Amino acid sequence: METLTIKAEPRMTSGTRISRALRAAGRLPAVIYGHGEAPESVSLAHHEVEVALAHGARTLQVDLNGGVKPYLIKQVQYDHLGTNLIHLDLSRVDLHERVKVRVGIELRGVPKGIHDGGVLDQQMAQIEVECVVTEIPDTFHPVVTHLALGDSLLVKDLQLPPGVVAMADSNERIATVRLLAVEVVAPVAPIEGEAATTAEPERIGRIRKDDEEVAAETKKPEAKKAEAKKPDAKK
Amino acid sequence: MALMPKRVKWRKSQRGKVRGVAGKGNTVAFGDFGLQCLSAGWLTARQIEAGRVAATHYLHREGKVYVRMFPHKPVSSKPLETRMGKGKGEPEFWVACVRPGTMLFEVAGVDETVARDALTRVAHKMPYRCRFVKRRHGL
Repeated sequence: METLTIKAEPRMTSGTRISRALRAAGRLPAVIYGHGEAPESVSLAHHEVEVALAHGARTLQVDLNGGVKPYLIKQVQYDHLGTNLIHLDLSRVDLHERVKVRVGIELRGVPKGIHDGGVLDQQMAQIEVECVVTEIPDTFHPVVTHLALGDSLLVKDLQLPPGVVAMADSNERIATVRLLAVEVVAPVAPIEGEAATTAEPERIGRIRKDDEEVAAETKKPEAKKAEAKKPDAKK
Repeated sequence: MALMPKRVKWRKSQRGKVRGVAGKGNTVAFGDFGLQCLSAGWLTARQIEAGRVAATHYLHREGKVYVRMFPHKPVSSKPLETRMGKGKGEPEFWVACVRPGTMLFEVAGVDETVARDALTRVAHKMPYRCRFVKRRHGL
């Protein structure tokens, strides 16, 4: 984990347009809160935050109004494509404080159960841990090569660094090697028209009027007209 | 068979417009790699099924494919050579509304090159521009 120092500027105004203008000027809107003090709206240099996050930073040293203090990165917001940063939440922390954070789990190795036709299914991609702010792990890399078919990697199997406590249940599954359910393919009937797509789902809730009745009502005038025309045609 | 709801409250729906961007369902949540849509519009149940089949066939029962959208919306049409009026047409097919950022498919349990090849094949079946994305493990 790295800690970088970034200069912040207080934001007196807020709102969508102002935040967009800030982002266009290369600044990142952020908010600082916690420790029972009033929240502060600030802006940080966008590129510096990006670099810090790329290096796996969990805390930032922020220079605000001349004073440099450590802050925990509480939440990072990205745009709809997940590429550009749009907002940062920073929490006031004491460097000796224990905090709860979510840490990613990246599995390493190919389980031996894969060779027997199994599939590695990762149920837990992140785990909540409690630790001192300065010792937040980047990512856990448990090795799964020993997992045979039907075996699971549990939370208690994770080798956590000293001082780091997992908040999840110790018997909770992280990953399992299991047989993939066999897909039963039904015999394909010759397609006539759009038989497959015309099958309709069941209707729920209050039905005001049956559609068949509505259709019958709309057809009635046509049928009457046709009947009325028929004798003329014979003549 | 193509996807469609088991139960619906209303048989027919108005066409509507697909506006805005994906505010949810836009991250890799189940697998390790995903295919993200970059345009807004409809994806028919047949297109979704074609994508699923393309991925599963390529992976040869390795790994797992997740389909992240579902065709909830019925689209109706009138029969050929029918005069206008006389009520709305019958439901013909089902579509999923997708927005820029929507995660369409995800793949788990295979390495990146295999996942990239599989999802490229899926992308060719899609009517919109898509891109390959990886799960974000950190912040």
